[in-house]
Amino acid sequence: MTAATVLDVGSPSSKQKQSLWRYWRGNLKGSEFTWALAFSVPYIAVFVAFVAYPVFYGLWMGSDPALYSDVFSDVIYQDTVVNTLVFVVLGVNLKLFLALLLSGVFMRPGWVTKVMLMLFVLPWAVPQLPAFISLHWMLNGEWGLLNNALWILGGIEGPSWLNERWTALGAAIASHIWKWTPFWTVILLAGRMSIPQDIYDAAKVDGATGLNRFLFVTFPLLANLYLVLTLLATIFLLGDFNTVFFVTGGGPNNETHLLATLGVRNAFDLARPDLGVAVVMTALPVLIPLVIILMRKLRTAEVQL
Amino acid sequence: MALMRRSLLQGSLGFAAGGALAGPYIANAQAKTMSAWFAQGFVEDEDIALRKAVAGYEKASGNKVDLSIIPFAPQRQKIVSAITSGVVPDVTQNNPAEILPLYAWQDKWIDTEDIVETQKAKFSETALKSAQAYNDVTKKRAYYGVPLRGACVPCHTWKSLVEKADMKMADRPRTWDGYFDFYKKVQDNLRKKGERKIYGLGFQVTANGVDPAALFNAFMHGYGGQGIVTPEGTLNLDARIREAAIKAAEYLGGAYRDGYVPPSAINWNDADDNNAFHAKLMVMDVDGTISTEVAVKAKHPEWYFDEMVTDGLLYPTTNDGKPITCITAMLNAVIPKGAKNVPVAKEFLKFLIQPDILQDTVETGLGRNLPPMPELAKTPFWENPKDPHLKGYAHQGLLGPTQPDYYVFNPAMAEVYAQHVYSKAMIAVAKKGKATDAVDAAFREIKEIFDKYPIKQS
Repeated sequence: MTAATVLDVGSPSSKQKQSLWRYWRGNLKGSEFTWALAFSVPYIAVFVAFVAYPVFYGLWMGSDPALYSDVFSDVIYQDTVVNTLVFVVLGVNLKLFLALLLSGVFMRPGWVTKVMLMLFVLPWAVPQLPAFISLHWMLNGEWGLLNNALWILGGIEGPSWLNERWTALGAAIASHIWKWTPFWTVILLAGRMSIPQDIYDAAKVDGATGLNRFLFVTFPLLANLYLVLTLLATIFLLGDFNTVFFVTGGGPNNETHLLATLGVRNAFDLARPDLGVAVVMTALPVLIPLVIILMRKLRTAEVQL
Repeated sequence: MALMRRSLLQGSLGFAAGGALAGPYIANAQAKTMSAWFAQGFVEDEDIALRKAVAGYEKASGNKVDLSIIPFAPQRQKIVSAITSGVVPDVTQNNPAEILPLYAWQDKWIDTEDIVETQKAKFSETALKSAQAYNDVTKKRAYYGVPLRGACVPCHTWKSLVEKADMKMADRPRTWDGYFDFYKKVQDNLRKKGERKIYGLGFQVTANGVDPAALFNAFMHGYGGQGIVTPEGTLNLDARIREAAIKAAEYLGGAYRDGYVPPSAINWNDADDNNAFHAKLMVMDVDGTISTEVAVKAKHPEWYFDEMVTDGLLYPTTNDGKPITCITAMLNAVIPKGAKNVPVAKEFLKFLIQPDILQDTVETGLGRNLPPMPELAKTPFWENPKDPHLKGYAHQGLLGPTQPDYYVFNPAMAEVYAQHVYSKAMIAVAKKGKATDAVDAAFREIKEIFDKYPIKQS
């Protein structure tokens, strides 16, 4: 009885431990587990060193609540929040809407379309820094290519694009759209190409042509992809640094900063890395829900496929 | 087989772990290797000069210097990151110069008095002052820098553009307002000749980089407003300083407002004025060092020798004819706390500040930077009568009346510059605001910043 009691009590616990151990080993047996561990160690080490550590170090640097009163009372930060919102809303939506339309153009058969597509992706293929620095010079009010062209062609004295907040921010948004629309167009093109021709044929039989074909066949089938791309582009854009840094430099008078460029300014120009991190941290309440929604949408897409 | 694989894995992991543990031991065995970070020169000759000096030290000492020559802006980021993380080099230069007092305030540098002492009698007074900073932990001012080179802010002019406007360089007034007004007349004449896009004055009326603060300081001194911070580190915003600041904001912002400065200057970065000047799109520029001239010497010797003029000896006076004390910013070497090879770093810096080494470094670098010792500006290189720039530059920044920049006296001024407080005043006037209002707002902000840096004793 005593032995049975011990056996009765001990048996499930031992089984639980065994089951937990097996679960932890991923049902791998013997040396397979050691091999798996050996191959995982480099990845884990790299992840800890280059992802986990910097993130937690950043969180630690930006953990002092006093930093946030400095950040929120800074006039430049207040302008920066507005700029970031404008940049994200216009930048993401104009870029993706254009990409959606252009992906339809590039679905057309023929060599001319193929050549056009090759030319179209060039801005995306060009390295960011020289492209944005060139745009900065092209937009110079006195000596830039754009205003010189306006003068020569029409005798028009162009504005100083980078001298006023809204024209400078507009120039940065336009530069971003020019640079990244090809990338999203190619993705949406791939999405369109994955729609079976049978569906279009069936729609045609039902009388859906032209705009109706787009509204009732293409767009519903691309909607999930479009939403995922919108979320992705928003996340990318919230961390965008190069466009504004090289096109407007955050100027004039620090009026066109985004959160990323202001963070770098505070960290290095003011030699206050903690203040720089705090600025970027203020994007987290927006960024984290976006990532969660994106993950959920990706899971949905997986089930649908 | 399984046993072999397991043995192999265990052996590999053991070897890797052993290697990781053995690494520091090997590193310690090379204790005479030190790391040094310097900013890349604006001309290649500066880097050549630095490498030559380092090679000289390595040969003389048997030690090795792991030298990193880093572009100007990234070096600043690297230093801030290093000090923040605690992973520091053995020697770095103070780039930007303001980080010397800023981090001295936080007790982040090693005392360098024993290094400076070896050449103390030869350094200029400005160089010695610039190497000192106030430490808020010890509540004392001490040496934390080792002076290597200096630079002031001359005026650069295209003689050819002045002549194109049918005017003569010799007719330029020597007093402050008259001197700069002359260039407005040059622009007016150029407009009459159909030149739409050449501007008279290259003022950096921008909130980017280090140039606008240097420009504003030059104008403050031009209007007799020297001493906004006392050598003891106290802020001085008295009526004389306020009047000079109002005149400076009015002249600089007003010239922009009235169309004598390129409109894009409101959003220039540090290199944009140099680019515009080299493209002959402005008649004159007020910019630090003679990199403007030196950068074109090899490719366009005719520009360097015949067309460009640096006003050093002929730097304008105040409006009542008094000579102006120029601000000379010093490039110092510093040793961060936490450096692994402090004795080697100190030995290296003692080698670098020997007069013959300093002379060779600045002269190989084409004289873009000034030596920190007056005797080194009396060499045939600096006194070469055929060179139109060097002698005047040396006079302005070393041999004439000079003083350190104000952040040397109190690091609050470094924050004033980084926040571009002066730029805001200039831009407010440029956008048709009143100079008095702009300066009063600037002074309020300056006072708030100084309140964060109280100096208890000197």
